[in-house]
Amino acid sequence: MLFKDQLEFIRTHMKRNKMRVSTTILASAMGCAFLIVLASVGFGLHKTITEDVLDNSMVTQIEVPGRESTDDPITSADTDEMRALDHVIAVVERSQPEVEGQVFLGDRSIYAPTILTKLEEEKKAGLKLAEGEMPTEAGEVVVGYHFAEHLLTEAEMENEERTEDMGFKGSLIGQEIELQLTPYEGDAEPATWTFTVAGVAAESGKDWQVDTSVYADASWGPVFVEQLELPEVYTSVLVYADDLQNVAEVTKHLKDDGYYAYSVTEELKSMDTFFAALKAGLVFVGTIAVLIASIGIFNTMTMAVTERTREIGVMKAIGAKPKLIQRLFLMESAAIGLIGTAIAVVVSYGVSILANWIVPIIILSSLDGEGGEDVAITISTIPWQLVLIAAAISITVAMVSGWRPARKATQIDVIQALRQEM
Amino acid sequence: MIEMNRVNHTFAIGKAGKERKVPVLKDVTLDVREGEIIAILGRSGSGKSTLLNVLAGFMRPESGSILVGGREVSTLSESAMADFRLAHYGFIFQNFQLMPGLTAAENIELPLKIKGIPVQERKRKVGELLAQVGLTEVAAHYPNELSGGQQQRVSIARALITDPPILLADEPTGSLDSETEQDILHLIQSLNRKLGLTFVIITHDAEVADIAHRQYQLHDGELVKGEKRHAV
Repeated sequence: MLFKDQLEFIRTHMKRNKMRVSTTILASAMGCAFLIVLASVGFGLHKTITEDVLDNSMVTQIEVPGRESTDDPITSADTDEMRALDHVIAVVERSQPEVEGQVFLGDRSIYAPTILTKLEEEKKAGLKLAEGEMPTEAGEVVVGYHFAEHLLTEAEMENEERTEDMGFKGSLIGQEIELQLTPYEGDAEPATWTFTVAGVAAESGKDWQVDTSVYADASWGPVFVEQLELPEVYTSVLVYADDLQNVAEVTKHLKDDGYYAYSVTEELKSMDTFFAALKAGLVFVGTIAVLIASIGIFNTMTMAVTERTREIGVMKAIGAKPKLIQRLFLMESAAIGLIGTAIAVVVSYGVSILANWIVPIIILSSLDGEGGEDVAITISTIPWQLVLIAAAISITVAMVSGWRPARKATQIDVIQALRQEM
Repeated sequence: MIEMNRVNHTFAIGKAGKERKVPVLKDVTLDVREGEIIAILGRSGSGKSTLLNVLAGFMRPESGSILVGGREVSTLSESAMADFRLAHYGFIFQNFQLMPGLTAAENIELPLKIKGIPVQERKRKVGELLAQVGLTEVAAHYPNELSGGQQQRVSIARALITDPPILLADEPTGSLDSETEQDILHLIQSLNRKLGLTFVIITHDAEVADIAHRQYQLHDGELVKGEKRHAV
């Protein structure tokens, strides 16, 4: 029998039992939709958390806090070796002296963290300027993007309510600032240095990050330590890879060389393992719903075989092979699964869109608007892989349910079947 | 064309473990020549339907051989027998055995669909056969919209659609009135004469058997040559 005729054959029979077949398709669609929607929550949460991690970290940055075997600090020879590794574009050594930094510009002042670094490496690592240029002399600094707006007069500081007209207006480039550093511990007196602002750092991609730092050249470290009688300044090393894809490789290399190394890929890897297990669990639970729906398919197909016993007998009598009879019934149950899956996919996408629209509203209302602007939750995502998995499960289960009735159809005795009344 | 040699078959009657074997066919030997009409007469329970079922391959005989066109069919697998039926046999049943959900034309077309014949060729052959059996006007009618005679004509057309050399008819006029019965018998005779088709007719009706070239009687499973009442 031609494939087209087989399709026409099952279409005719499904049409003849419209009501029964539609309810079975509906049950199959419900089971499959439940599977997709349930698993889509796993996919959605995975996406939300992954995006959150990526938003909150420099994805190509690898933190190297120290060595695994010794407490010896990382030397400049070590960092030079790191720079020589494949896919490493910059190695930044940052240190923050244990001091309270206060910057004065005319009648304005600001409490600003003082970061000592090699600004050329920072530039290679991706530090961009919103204004000005990178310092070329030791007396020049770069200030954070929010430095100016937090540079307040005493009157502005006393006013608890912040308005847009507060802060330093105009360009900071070329301005001379006085940096007063007070040690957190010890008896040393505060000391003041004068710097010229050469550049203003560009705004970070993270809305929540407020950068009021003063970035000075690392060569100031020993000066501050001596003048303010500070303990040894702790230096953190940050290695930057050229691409997110190469972060894992560079991290592995650093670990193999005996360093502690931590990157976003580590976090993503453990998260991926957890979410893979979660998604598999959800698909498993969803499959139970599909299995329940398969009972309906089994019943429908069993009834179809019973009702069509005489017809099957006639077909066998005039030359239909048992395999053809079996295929026709299997195709019918597969068609039920296929149509059910198609409906389920459409419904699931609808439910997913609705959930992604409603759930953030509920969360916002439960937070009474506080911090709500930061809520960006994707509760449900349906990737094409999930659609494929659900379709494969649903159609396979439908065919397995139709298997026994189809076998029964092939075993129908022609003589008995032809004796049946119409 | 058909050679049945010492075919035996028994039915088991009674509960499992306490069955009693009843012989239905006893050493049946039958030779049917090409282009012949053979009638097998017998009362109810004489075994004539079993004889047809064994010949058609719906059941396997316990012993004996059945050669059709020189090929042993009693040992064929179910699948091979289905192919054999499709190529060599046409069936005419007492109660027509039409598909209620298909029109007259679709019922006739069914064996060609099973055979995998392309739609254009199917339509052409169905049109020819509808004309041959005089049913062109009712081609789109469903079986329940047709008279008994028309239904049997559809059944005959369906049996002829694959051009089989042998037609097996089980009480072909059993559900028809006498006038329609004559129509169908004339059609069978005409098909035999024009197309040289071989017919094996199972009947209890002597009038039906009268169209046969040779008649046989089945008595309690034993086949004996019968006498014709008058010439065909």
